[in-house]
Amino acid sequence: MSFRAAAAVPLLLAVCAVPWAQQPPPAPPAATPPETAQPLSTAAERVYDFAKPRILQVRTLLQAAGRQTTIGSGFIVGADGLAITNYHVVSQFALDPRTYRLEYLAPDGANGPLTLLAIDVANDLAVVKVEHAGLPEFEFEPRALAGRLPKGERIYAMGNPLDLGFTIVEGTYNGLVDKSYDERIHFSGAINPGMSGGPVTAADGRVVGINVAKRVGGEQVGFLVPARHAAALLERARAGPPLVVDKAREEVGRQLDAWQAAFYDALRKQDFRAAPFGPYRGLESKAPWMTCWASTNADRVPKPRTAVNMTQCSSTTGLFVSNRILTGRLDFSYAYYQAVDLNAFQFAKELSQRAPGPASDPQGGRRLTAQECHDDFVGAGEGHPPLRATWCMRAYRDFEGIYDATLLVLTQDRGREALLAQLTMQGVSQANAVATGQRFLEAIEWSR
Amino acid sequence: MVPVMWIELIARDGGVALRQRIDAEEARIGRAFDNDLVVDDPHVAPHHLRVYRGADGELVAEDLGTLNGLYTEHGARRVRSLSLAREPVIRIGRTTLRVHDGAHEVPPERPLTPPGRHVRWDAGLAVALFAAVLLGNWLNLTGEPNANALVLPLLGLATILVAWSGIWALLSRIFVGQSLFALHLRIALTASIALVLWAQVAEIAAYALAWREMSEYAGLGAWAVLAATCYAHLHAMGPRHMRMATGVLMALIVAGASLQYFQKWASRTENGQRVTLGDLKPPVLRAVPLAKPDDFFKRTETVKARVDAARVKEPPPGALSDSD
Repeated sequence: MSFRAAAAVPLLLAVCAVPWAQQPPPAPPAATPPETAQPLSTAAERVYDFAKPRILQVRTLLQAAGRQTTIGSGFIVGADGLAITNYHVVSQFALDPRTYRLEYLAPDGANGPLTLLAIDVANDLAVVKVEHAGLPEFEFEPRALAGRLPKGERIYAMGNPLDLGFTIVEGTYNGLVDKSYDERIHFSGAINPGMSGGPVTAADGRVVGINVAKRVGGEQVGFLVPARHAAALLERARAGPPLVVDKAREEVGRQLDAWQAAFYDALRKQDFRAAPFGPYRGLESKAPWMTCWASTNADRVPKPRTAVNMTQCSSTTGLFVSNRILTGRLDFSYAYYQAVDLNAFQFAKELSQRAPGPASDPQGGRRLTAQECHDDFVGAGEGHPPLRATWCMRAYRDFEGIYDATLLVLTQDRGREALLAQLTMQGVSQANAVATGQRFLEAIEWSR
Repeated sequence: MVPVMWIELIARDGGVALRQRIDAEEARIGRAFDNDLVVDDPHVAPHHLRVYRGADGELVAEDLGTLNGLYTEHGARRVRSLSLAREPVIRIGRTTLRVHDGAHEVPPERPLTPPGRHVRWDAGLAVALFAAVLLGNWLNLTGEPNANALVLPLLGLATILVAWSGIWALLSRIFVGQSLFALHLRIALTASIALVLWAQVAEIAAYALAWREMSEYAGLGAWAVLAATCYAHLHAMGPRHMRMATGVLMALIVAGASLQYFQKWASRTENGQRVTLGDLKPPVLRAVPLAKPDDFFKRTETVKARVDAARVKEPPPGALSDSD
């Protein structure tokens, strides 16, 4: 359970939150890899030398104060001044261009304004333009684009962690993350806030991926966006019309809608199977990126008066839209309750205390509307137990047609045992929410 | 023989401060010491009022030409003279008097009630209440069975009942002169039983009928019970203070209930509804038919319409900015 709580967080660095006193210790000397005769530190030196004129710090400044509010990193990918960074590094500017502006800082001290050309919310990428012609550029690693990089290869992450200065970090390429809907490279190396959007290259200085997140609670567990997504976005930025900054919010809304459409499509394609819970059956997704965890209270002391066996499944997806909106998650859980020595009234009371789902959080309250609900007794016919169901929804204020929806279902056929099922969908369209909800509700049936 | 008349000086609390027997055709009332009844009120003239028998033998009060005059009960209108047969209570200055003819009829003798009967009745109510509360607590007990958890609320309830009845008894004592503690306790016990029953009925109805509003606004019923209880307490204190006190109390209760429900409404508008199945009861108590899944999900369209309306209607200040 504790592992589930340790979510991957984007590496956005809010300046005020940085512990300035903590200097990171120097990296220990690394072992010599078999394929090169030279010691590794020399390889890192070469990579950094190559990268130095090509990497940037991307700063979001408050228009009014002219000071940085958040910082990230980026890198030049075209002689025309195009550079790649993370969407979450420029999200404040994209959503509120009248309050913020973007600026870059190069390792040689040069700085200037940045123009935002394209965003890819799903892959957390953005293309920006430096008004400075003739800059040297990075190339993408063809082996990485083709997905043929061997696990264990040394790769080098660069950026400006915690605003301490440009830094290079050696680490290991560990392939794509298993059980992840979004394609992410598992990078074993220290990446830190402020490095977001920085390049990760192979020993020849060609880009393999882009720093994006790390797992809090893990050690040196970092995540990179594969280079091919950056290459694709770059192509789109070059081919298509540039992003109209005042319309960026609508573009984010369109991408959210497209993302959820693709996600729920994939969920349907992966199909479901029935899963038994006591005398009932529920639904289990066959999608590899739905991870499930079980828990019980059987070992509780004193012996609980209600036995609970719970299965919680989560899509482990997370879409960073803004500092206040982290969306794109799908959770469902089944809890099978059995009264040990409670009577029917006490058991019903126990279930009422367990049933409350997530209260609407006051933080999101500004970004989302207040929650509205509908509840009723529902029966899906022969073979299905009678159900008590509650459907609740909130709308995203910024994005039309995108909702958070929750469905809570409790079986109502026996006095002293019940299955409580909960489905929570973030950032979903009404059609997908209802389709998934109905599938989920109608799947609850008697197994004997 | 001259018929007798009685003049009563009414005290502020409505009781009789002084009762004077007059064995004459006529009585004179005023501040001077040659009157039949001397009234120590600076707003009363030395010779203020004459009470005599009119032509038909009925008592009549007559103002003797004073500054402050003669008023009917509560000072509603000033009169020169008035017949006391119909309106026995009069006011002179700041003094209230009541005049009765000796032939005035009194209600028949009321039989003494044996004290044990009320006590038995009260004890029965108390036992019923405590049994209901105990049963309710037990049916809601989901943790470890614990005598403390079951008995402590009863002690608290008993204390509140005694304190509540005590306050009403004190008020009765002040305004009516009788504490009527047993009567007030009986009212409080009855009200508590009504409250406990209402809470149960409301919960079960909210569950059985899948009626969310019922559970959200069941408190209004409790306010109504409270209002009825206060009315009963006032009624027990006698009709004299009824009208104004009832008005004030009911206004307070309506204000309290409105305030509470306004707050609830405002909080609902701000924070929305909670994801909850409500207060669940054993499934056998369900009273409404099962909806078809298609119909249930069709109804989600209205939920969508509500949040869409909220989305367009009320973007709070700063909602669209990330900075704060």
